[in-house]
Amino acid sequence: MMRRAEWVSLGKGLGFLSPWIFGFLLFTAIPVGLSFYYSLCDYSLLQAPLYIGLQNYRDLMADPVFWKVLVNTFKYAVMALPAGMVVSLGLALLLNAPIKGQAIYRTIIFLPSLVPTVASAMLWLWLFNAKLGLINTILRWFGIEGPGWLTMPQWAMPALAMMSLWGVGHTVVIYLAGLQDVPKDLYEAAELDGVGPLSRLRNVTLPMISPVIFFNLVMAIIGTLQVFAIPFIMTQGGPARATYFFTMYLYDNAFQYLKMGYASAMAWIQLVIILCLTGIAFWSSKRWVHYQGA
Amino acid sequence: MRVMRYLVIAVLLLLATGLLVFGPRANADRPKDRVVVSYWEKWTGNEAEQMKEIVNDFNATVGKEKGIYVEYLSMSNINQKTLVATAAGVPPDIAGLWDAQVAQFAAIDALEPLDDLAREHGIGEGYYKRVYWEACHYNGKLWALISTPAAVALHYNKRIFQENAAALRKAGLDPDGVPKTVEELDRYAEALDKLDARGRVDVAGYLPMEPGWFLVHTPYWFGGQLFDAEAQKFTADSPESVRAFTWVQSYSKRLGKDSMTEFRSGLGGFNSAQNAFLVGQVVMEQQGPWMANYIEDLAPKMNRRAFPKEQEKGMSVEERRRNYEWAAAPFPSAVPGLEKVTYTGFDVLVIPRGARHRKEAFEFIAYVNRQDVMEKLCALHCKNSPLTEVSEKFLREHPNPYIGVFEELAASPNAKPVPPVPIWPEVNEEMNNTIQQIYLLEKEPEPALREAQARLTEKWERFQALQRARGSTGVVAPGEGNGSEVRR
Repeated sequence: MMRRAEWVSLGKGLGFLSPWIFGFLLFTAIPVGLSFYYSLCDYSLLQAPLYIGLQNYRDLMADPVFWKVLVNTFKYAVMALPAGMVVSLGLALLLNAPIKGQAIYRTIIFLPSLVPTVASAMLWLWLFNAKLGLINTILRWFGIEGPGWLTMPQWAMPALAMMSLWGVGHTVVIYLAGLQDVPKDLYEAAELDGVGPLSRLRNVTLPMISPVIFFNLVMAIIGTLQVFAIPFIMTQGGPARATYFFTMYLYDNAFQYLKMGYASAMAWIQLVIILCLTGIAFWSSKRWVHYQGA
Repeated sequence: MRVMRYLVIAVLLLLATGLLVFGPRANADRPKDRVVVSYWEKWTGNEAEQMKEIVNDFNATVGKEKGIYVEYLSMSNINQKTLVATAAGVPPDIAGLWDAQVAQFAAIDALEPLDDLAREHGIGEGYYKRVYWEACHYNGKLWALISTPAAVALHYNKRIFQENAAALRKAGLDPDGVPKTVEELDRYAEALDKLDARGRVDVAGYLPMEPGWFLVHTPYWFGGQLFDAEAQKFTADSPESVRAFTWVQSYSKRLGKDSMTEFRSGLGGFNSAQNAFLVGQVVMEQQGPWMANYIEDLAPKMNRRAFPKEQEKGMSVEERRRNYEWAAAPFPSAVPGLEKVTYTGFDVLVIPRGARHRKEAFEFIAYVNRQDVMEKLCALHCKNSPLTEVSEKFLREHPNPYIGVFEELAASPNAKPVPPVPIWPEVNEEMNNTIQQIYLLEKEPEPALREAQARLTEKWERFQALQRARGSTGVVAPGEGNGSEVRR
């Protein structure tokens, strides 16, 4: 039995928490629950939801555009995720080296990630311009006729994946923080044992920053599977749906075609996919993530 | 230290009180004795300001007389915002939407029908040009009235025609003329094309994909249509459609896919001084009457070929046209005898369901549709008029000296609007993808259109089945068209 003082204390605690509890219920928990119900309905926002059971899910399975956007999203993730991980880790390792002007280099690498998404998109539209763009102009100096990066279906996806590296600054900063946390005595011990730089990287640095790598991996999985703004601005899903991604089709269904039920079903499928992949990452982490003191 | 702290707090309190007492008031401009009608409009920039002028005129005249005050708010993504506000029960009294939303919103019961109000104000079938009147209907009811309409025509650069007179004559074409058939358009285009040292397109005489905004409606010029409103079915794979998109594809085949895509990616934005038509990179293109305004803003020299603009006052239209480097003419048709074919896009004013001031809102809509007001707005926006009656002054003084061409096109029996299909945004996306596959030579027109037809039919049947399941009236039966014909 709780005493009166404990009840009062609990009441006070809940009272102070209540703004968050109400906010969470009102803006997160209830909408999430409703979106699951709507995924079982035909719902246009204006008309009352019409319960149709699993029909939206069945329709999605038979919808060629759904499969197209799903494959596109995975293709993008397969290109952008490893490239982003390797480039950002590589940059962090370079920026961690004690060299002159280190702060300037760090700033230069971080700066692009501060550029607003729309501004970056406009900049890269010009860089990728087939006729006047910087990339093809440089290629032309070497006698190479560059492709229509964003206008040819086979090149649009790699171009977007390449562009995703522009914003690795944030990830680099997280890696840098991890790298600076690696105890110096481990490097000293390795050096005394005659371990070379590559072996030090493999046997000391990577295991020690593995929790950071794991965190960045999980964030990258979520981020790449939800890619939206850049292709929405730069290609609008084209040419010929070559860069039409899952979240873009979800958005179109919800706000252009007013098929809220269909879009909700897509959102739940997306959640399950991300959960599964994140789950696999967590499961595999037992083998390669090493926590200090664990 | 303590004194300093109290001083800072006192100053802050003073500032806060000052802001509360003398600060801006959300409702400061609202007259207390009038019904306030909220009006959301999609236009931004110049177009928004020009509509604001009409709103101010209303508030100072009819509004004042009838005790109505229109509160105007320009915004982006208006269709989504209107829908969400309507669902939440707090819609604006008037929303300025696009043509494709009339059927889409009407079918989901998002709009108030306007038949009774229009009748009370004497706005009926004969008041509007046929194509616009019909397009404001869905399933037998009137859901919208026009704010500004448009029709598309062929725009061509007369100066470049003259500079290439020899090449055109060699091809058996008249440099002072204009293509009358699609076949002639192709010959003009080929004679005007210029390739660079690498054999890639430098100037395109004509390119259906540039700007390509109306590609999906190309079957109209080939005697076809994408949707048969009478039979309530799609006709994306009809012989006319196949012919239309085979013609679109022929440009990629002739110029080379890579060359064409590279050329297009090097073109400047539409609303920029690097606009392909303005800099002469594309000699002919399909555009609406608004193009004259863009030319005036971005390349004013093109509108001052012979004499200063001020001299145009009082001149006849024919005389004025001499001052322009460009001209507009009906886009040629591929079917002999099929003349003055056009696609008519338009902007609409609607009253969302649950609007609090339906009657007062319509007072403003009716005001906008008064001939003198409509002509003022259409002249400001550089559009043709949707009304049957058009004043001589409108035609003479319009900023586009070719407005007569657009008026004739809009009044033609071959003027066609966006099909009255509630799922049009989805259809448009599906068709645009199919057309891209065709002109990027990824698929041949016939199988691509057959696939598109199957997908569109499936989506359409599914939509109809769901609407029937919920007992909605938003389904048109075959034979009823969009319902406007039933009223006659």
